[in-house]
Amino acid sequence: MAATSEGVKPVQDEPQLVERVRRGDRDAFAALVDRYADQAFAVAYGFLRHAQDAEDLVQDALIRALERIGSLRPGSSFGPWFYRLLVNAALNRRKYLARRGTAQLPVGTPARDSPAVDAERAELQQRLAQALAALPRDLESVVILHDLEGFTHPEIAGILGIPEGTCRSHLFRARRMLRDLLKDYRHQ
Amino acid sequence: MSERYDEAPIPELQALKPPLRSDIERRRARQRVIACAEPLLARRRRAGSSWELLAAWARPGLVAASIALAIVAAALKLGGGPARPVPEPVLLDDVLATGANGSVPALLVAMSEPDVDAVVAAALIETNGNSGALPQEQLQGR
Repeated sequence: MAATSEGVKPVQDEPQLVERVRRGDRDAFAALVDRYADQAFAVAYGFLRHAQDAEDLVQDALIRALERIGSLRPGSSFGPWFYRLLVNAALNRRKYLARRGTAQLPVGTPARDSPAVDAERAELQQRLAQALAALPRDLESVVILHDLEGFTHPEIAGILGIPEGTCRSHLFRARRMLRDLLKDYRHQ
Repeated sequence: MSERYDEAPIPELQALKPPLRSDIERRRARQRVIACAEPLLARRRRAGSSWELLAAWARPGLVAASIALAIVAAALKLGGGPARPVPEPVLLDDVLATGANGSVPALLVAMSEPDVDAVVAAALIETNGNSGALPQEQLQGR
């Protein structure tokens, strides 16, 4: 997945697609799925760090978006609205998993290198995941959307419903905190 | 990035990138979503067609109602409407002045029809040639 934010940018024919989906057009809905599913999966994975959970979450978010598409103002873009649904669902899902004591630790990419390299990668992923989980929710959301998925500040501001300046300060604080949390690991 | 919030990104974070999905996995996920969405889409199609049907009937319905209203209005105007005689108000002094033999023919104009008893009583009085006047002895007794 390229770290671009094309998914959130309003596409020219998107209002028409949304209008067609409102009327129950299957092809229009499929077009929205094709447009957003991949990046939505990456975002969901950023929060859940489990491929199957991320897959399920994207499906739920798309169905929820379809159910609520009537509340999307005509002419406004689908992307930020949909990603907001997705991020909220991801945070809720993680809270639910944490309550059940089944929160996922990073599974990561399948092993491709030597066992030593794989072990090192797994450790790094675990440390990163723990450091991210230690951040306040807003800060974590910003760092995932910006540093992992490549969304811009205006896009993140639109998704999270916060001012752009707040978004920048969140990212600044998040990176600082992450650096502190990963200090020991980096010095190894 | 604003200069105030200049904190370099953390390169290690890239290790948390999602695993690449095969085309088969992506296609399967797509099919699953669309299959789940199908009942909702079908409901939207049905709801949409109901509104379209309603909208299709709305215009002829409005035209028909307007025509019916125009016909009723014209009929009322031509027929002069339901004729209901409204009695002229009469001054009390005039009534007392026109009364013969000390009688008062009428004081009030009734707003509704008199009941049967009143009609019979009036008819009996008329046939007795009394003209509504009380007998002399009754007047004297008062």
